[in-house]
Amino acid sequence: MAFLAPWFLAGLAAVGLPIYLHLLRQHKSTPLPFSSLMFFERRTQSSIKHRRLRYLLLLALRLALLILLALAFANPFINRPPESLRSDQLMVLVLDESFSMHAAGWLAEARTQAASLLASRPPTRRAQVMALGGQLRVLTQPTLDPGELRAALESVKGSGSRASYGELARAIRSLAQTVKTPIQVHLFSDMQKTALPAAFSELQFPENATLSLHPVSQKAEPNWTVETVSAPGLVWEPKRARVLATIAGYSTPAADRTVSLVINGKVAASKSVSIPAAGRATAEFQGLEVPYGFARCEIRIDSADSLREDDRALFAVERSDPRRVLLVHEPRDSRSALYFRAALAAAAESSFQLEPVSVDQAANLQPSRYAFVVLADLLSIPAPLEDELRKYVRNGGSLWIAAGPATARRPRVPVFDEPVKEARYYSRGGQRFLSVGDADATHPSLRRASRWEGVKFYYAVAVEPGSARVAARLTDETPLLLDKKLGEGRVLLLTSGLDNLTNDFPLHPVFVPFVEQTARYLSGIEQRRGPRTVDSFLELRSAREQAVGVEVIGPGGNRALSLNEAASQQSFALNREGFYELRRADGRHEMVAVNADRRESDLGIIPQETLALWMGQGEQPSSATAGPAAAPAQQVPFSIWWYVMLVVAAAVLAESFLASRYLAVGTEEGAG
Amino acid sequence: MIPVLQRFLNPSVLAGISGLDLVAKTVVDGFVSGLHRSPDFGFSQEFAEYRAYTPGDDLRHVDWNVFARTERCYLKRYRGETNTLLTVLVDASASMGYSSHQVSKIDYARFAAASIFYLAHQQRDAAGLIVFDDEVRNYIKPSTRQGQLHRLLHGIEHAEPGARTDFAKPFLHFQEFLKRRGIVVVMSDFYETPERIVKTVEPLRYHGNELILFHVLDPNEIRPKLREPVILVDLETQQSMEVSPDYANHEYTRKMDSHIEELKTLAQRSGIDYYLMSTDRPLDGALREYLSIRQGRM
Repeated sequence: MAFLAPWFLAGLAAVGLPIYLHLLRQHKSTPLPFSSLMFFERRTQSSIKHRRLRYLLLLALRLALLILLALAFANPFINRPPESLRSDQLMVLVLDESFSMHAAGWLAEARTQAASLLASRPPTRRAQVMALGGQLRVLTQPTLDPGELRAALESVKGSGSRASYGELARAIRSLAQTVKTPIQVHLFSDMQKTALPAAFSELQFPENATLSLHPVSQKAEPNWTVETVSAPGLVWEPKRARVLATIAGYSTPAADRTVSLVINGKVAASKSVSIPAAGRATAEFQGLEVPYGFARCEIRIDSADSLREDDRALFAVERSDPRRVLLVHEPRDSRSALYFRAALAAAAESSFQLEPVSVDQAANLQPSRYAFVVLADLLSIPAPLEDELRKYVRNGGSLWIAAGPATARRPRVPVFDEPVKEARYYSRGGQRFLSVGDADATHPSLRRASRWEGVKFYYAVAVEPGSARVAARLTDETPLLLDKKLGEGRVLLLTSGLDNLTNDFPLHPVFVPFVEQTARYLSGIEQRRGPRTVDSFLELRSAREQAVGVEVIGPGGNRALSLNEAASQQSFALNREGFYELRRADGRHEMVAVNADRRESDLGIIPQETLALWMGQGEQPSSATAGPAAAPAQQVPFSIWWYVMLVVAAAVLAESFLASRYLAVGTEEGAG
Repeated sequence: MIPVLQRFLNPSVLAGISGLDLVAKTVVDGFVSGLHRSPDFGFSQEFAEYRAYTPGDDLRHVDWNVFARTERCYLKRYRGETNTLLTVLVDASASMGYSSHQVSKIDYARFAAASIFYLAHQQRDAAGLIVFDDEVRNYIKPSTRQGQLHRLLHGIEHAEPGARTDFAKPFLHFQEFLKRRGIVVVMSDFYETPERIVKTVEPLRYHGNELILFHVLDPNEIRPKLREPVILVDLETQQSMEVSPDYANHEYTRKMDSHIEELKTLAQRSGIDYYLMSTDRPLDGALREYLSIRQGRM
């Protein structure tokens, strides 16, 4: 026997404490003279003799307790030959259930191999079944029950997840921390090369675990797949919409493939593309004639490969009318509307329609009918309109104010309600103009507007920011873009004009993404994201949308969230291919298309040398269908600290019992 | 002033005083100084009360000091004097040598006896002493002769604990020494059954003696304080026995209380005065007991 942490044996010095308390400090029994013993009885003496015996037993127990504790902390172990541990071995069967296992019946083959291995297992050996996808799923606990193990094997149906052998190794390392007996891992997989982690060290297994590989594929199968699809998420002019698909071939010869655009189950267009050997080709579809609302679209290819599940790629498209935007300007200001309309129209996925009106015509308009309202440097604003705008913002509307020289004549910025400090004419100074000094790239308006070089501001209104967030500043620290929340809505203040008189901002390319992003931000339409991959997560609510119900309907048409989850869950795992319908906390509906990770489409297998290295056999050739990997020849250390702790627990119980009995002796005899 | 004097009645203070005569003087003086609250007690020739003068009274008893202050005649009355024969029997057995603090039981008995002798001497009572263990060790005949007090104190000072296993044995001979009527004081720890003790001492009353039993016990004998099991050795028999604290605190205490109570009851039933003297308590109790008996004899 040896110790893994022998320095804890220093704790043996603690045995001196009970020896001191019991023996050195014990009563020396020096006879004491007393007047007369006529009131004492002889029977007391025999009980004391018994007690002395218990006293020594108690001392022995306490000494044993301390010694055992020190031993347990020192972590004793014994070296046992591997043969003696074989009966304690845990057999872990891991079935690859990743997307690529759908190919050519590989999953069924893996299941058959695992079942036959289970059948040949000694009846006294415990086994456990797990499934390897994006994560390692534990299907059974270690058991001897063959029925339970077979049922677990049958329950593995395959998923759209991507396998990760690094995840497998990590999970086995965690398992080895609790299971101290030898672990024999049997992996039934297609040994896909793309499942290897970036670093080989992540594949390392713990010392007490050995790996046996059971490949179901002996060579790389040719496979074509729809790799990517680029399509607009929101369409309001179907003729202008464009869909671009990339078709990839892995280990494939050069071939012609027919690519089809399918909308709501009907083939809308088809075309043939020539794909080079193990290469890629693109197919473009002009026009996306989808009905109003959400459309379930897919790009499909005709391929005769073994993995048919990746011959299509899903994407969702929403068609809607363009949203109206109201721009109120001074009668003589026509430039603001001109530049603003041009910027909105230039945006790729623009879905806004600008309605410019002069301020004298805007008195009777209802702002709530518009996605947002723009005030382009107004000298005066009718009080009813200002009240209406204030109410509109407080109820959740959005207002964009461009403050030019006309606004500077007012004491306060309308609706924004912050005082105007001064009008700064940079063109009259020595520097002639100022540039953007600081832009907060996290602000939604500036997220994609990053190229501010060369934009000249000749004029700006200095406004007290108050509680507003300053998203951009000029080089003299004058706030350029302020974002203020009022009630449920918000007001965005640009402290310069939208025309090209107070700046040349509208003439620069950055003006287009700035206007587009700001329009999306103010109208509440976030950037549509393309199709997602299986095992990715969908954010269900923002930080300010807590305790508001959301709803997710899965590909099968069933509700994916319970009532409790719908009210509180922050995110949702997309674990299946298909279309998910989502109703967000703010009431908006979305449709999300989910595809399997296309790295699973590459059916190339790991070289034999790499597999041999993984199994710990060095340069020795792999036996492919390999039985158990060769166990180390030396003896296996077997920790016995757990058994020592069991004895410690027993000693604690005995000590407690004896100590209580010892203390109770006097009372019992006194009563007797 | 009185508390200071009474402090000298404390046995542990008296133990620091060398010489029994000085001890006795200290005790009695301190005791007498505290008697102003107890007008029932007093010496012979001592003042008893004032009484208004009536014609025919002896003018020698008029207190002229009072007359000078108040212009009224009052007679000063004194208590009469009766000579009493006092015999003190001090147990000097080995068990009396036990002590759990500064004063052993034999020391305490010495102090008490010396104080009583001193008090008796002050009152001109004839006092005698018998020191005994399993037989009579010393006998001083009661007398009022010159030097009697010194003889008594000397006799008691040399009373050392001896050995005894039989309580009743010496009492068979005491009849020879107690032929005159008087007061007999027995100071002992009385380690015998109450029936036997009373049966043994009862014959001492036959000549009309007043009998007082002073039961001298150490506080540790009445309420033992043991924290762990000990081996106790009997001072008389040298027999040893292991005793547990629990037994000493419960069973022994119950037996000792029962012994004291039974002895007191049987003594009173036989017309014997009984007084328990714990060696940690002041000595005035013994003197008070003696005086109360003597008062009854006047």
